[in-house]
Amino acid sequence: MLLGLTVVWTVMIWNLTFAHLYKGDSHEVQTAKDPGREQPKPVEGKAAFQKQILDSEKTVKLYLGYQVLEQKQLLGHFHIVDIQLKPDTRNYCISCHGDIPHDKFKDLRAFGNMHASFIACQTCHIRLEGDQATHIFKWYDRATGQIVPSPVKDGALPGTYNAKIIPFERVDGALQRIDSQARIDFAAEYRKQEQSLSEVQKSKAKKIIHQQVSKQPYMCESCHVQQGSLLPFEELGYSKQRIDAFVGTEVIGMIKNYTQFYLPHILEPGIGSHEPEKKVQ
Amino acid sequence: MAMRVKNRTLKRLGAFAIWLALVLVAHSQAYASDVGNCLLCHKYPGLSRIDENGKYRLLYVSEETFNRSIHAKVQCEGCHTDIKKIPHDPAKKVDCLTQCHIIEPTSEQKFSHKGVEEFLEHSVHGRYDKNGNLKKFAEDLPTCKDCHDNPMFRPLSFFKRVRPGISDAALGRCRVCHSKDEFIYRFYNHVTTRLHTTRNPKNIAEVCARCHDNSELIARHGLSFKAVATYTETFHGKSAEYLSERVPDCLNCHVKKGQSPHQMLSYKDPQSSTYKDNKLAVCLTEECHPSAGAKLADYNPHPNFDRKQNPRQFYFTAFFILLTGGTLLPLMLVMFLDLLRTMFPHASLLRKK
Repeated sequence: MLLGLTVVWTVMIWNLTFAHLYKGDSHEVQTAKDPGREQPKPVEGKAAFQKQILDSEKTVKLYLGYQVLEQKQLLGHFHIVDIQLKPDTRNYCISCHGDIPHDKFKDLRAFGNMHASFIACQTCHIRLEGDQATHIFKWYDRATGQIVPSPVKDGALPGTYNAKIIPFERVDGALQRIDSQARIDFAAEYRKQEQSLSEVQKSKAKKIIHQQVSKQPYMCESCHVQQGSLLPFEELGYSKQRIDAFVGTEVIGMIKNYTQFYLPHILEPGIGSHEPEKKVQ
Repeated sequence: MAMRVKNRTLKRLGAFAIWLALVLVAHSQAYASDVGNCLLCHKYPGLSRIDENGKYRLLYVSEETFNRSIHAKVQCEGCHTDIKKIPHDPAKKVDCLTQCHIIEPTSEQKFSHKGVEEFLEHSVHGRYDKNGNLKKFAEDLPTCKDCHDNPMFRPLSFFKRVRPGISDAALGRCRVCHSKDEFIYRFYNHVTTRLHTTRNPKNIAEVCARCHDNSELIARHGLSFKAVATYTETFHGKSAEYLSERVPDCLNCHVKKGQSPHQMLSYKDPQSSTYKDNKLAVCLTEECHPSAGAKLADYNPHPNFDRKQNPRQFYFTAFFILLTGGTLLPLMLVMFLDLLRTMFPHASLLRKK
């Protein structure tokens, strides 16, 4: 241990001093002999991953004098991104599907992803029926995973909550959140052992993980409706004004505009072309 | 009787007109740019998608931040000109040179950034050479959004030099003649932001670093060092790192006085501020080193730690590295071992059990 500590200490000082004489972190770059003739090489593999994934976004600070504005800088993005939602540590769907999972339907994918930032996947993609259905929905904290009081009441701007809505189900008469620890552990174990599983075992595991997922998810009209909304907005802490906006003509009218011509595809996801057909007036 | 009813109706209509006007004014202040109610959807930070090329498209617009930006008065449709209805089809790429609805007060014509394009084309960053031929690797050269995101107002206050930002005293003076607070704030912000750069030196260097510290681009364009990394090695760069506003950033030296950064020329161009014969004049400006001697022009503001390029800097720096390392390394090692002995007085690597 002593030897290890001594080595670490020596390396640290070496890096602070002598390493500068040898290291290639001088600001010199390999200059092309004839810059005009050299063609840029396509970036592939590890370098492409670095460029397209790791380097494509970073957090920078704008020093405005009266304020330090921390923003997420996306390459080629014009508008200032002044908010960063905390990662959802509880949701086991996103560990495979990512935080921006909606992709199939051009017209709806951005809206789906927008809702996914404050509604857990299970809320729309699992239809609880019979004894399982409780019509109870609560907010959970994205960082801790714990059930928390409604963040809406705190006056946060729409969609900026660091919390998501999760449904509750009834199992053997007891109320439990649908993302139970048992399900989280099962999915985590699958990801851990995925490489060593046989193809049959993989299929079995995927089937079990997706067992509850409904082929027909709840759509916009399930919540954005004057009467009988799936989500109990009031219990979730929304004010009357906000509820009126959700079910008002602006939102409902827009949903109709987006969905009326694509309805068959929406209700049967995966069937037919992924490209929406041209609108027919 | 009929007259009384008519009067009452007129009063009601008048009151309604006043109420309507107040509502409209209030609405226009709160959502100055959002007459199309685009924020109904775009206010949500989660409104996003991954496009067909795997690129993250974030469609969120922060209303509060946008309203503090230079473009706050420009309506969404002013830039996103292809959006005529809601719901809309995927928006096309914004053309920054398009005419927007803002009227430029001196010409009384619709405002456009068209003039910038001409400046840029004649600059070192222009895509065509002097003969009108497309430069090699022209696709690497910057377009608007490579350097600019939506610039934020960065008002400057001279009031007692205590705090930057809005000076209440100055606003008080504006209110003597001008009654509309919205106008006063916007005008004040615009003018005081333009009295200096919209970014501080550190942020300006970061923008230039996107290309000028990119090894691939530097190599392809025959440049020999990382411009910003070397700048940060200097006193100027270090002060900028500590957020000093009083040190020269990239633009102070590379842009000719009285011109815009879009007119920047190559250091090989005799018209350039960084041309070998013009360098001294840049250093001798009143704000910088007005009484310096001619030798200051020899100063290398991009000291590359490279034996071939800058032997003097290299050996000088190497000497100090050797001095520091050669002194501190043994000293700290002794102190560290002494500390270990104090903590573990009986420890031994050689003792046999």
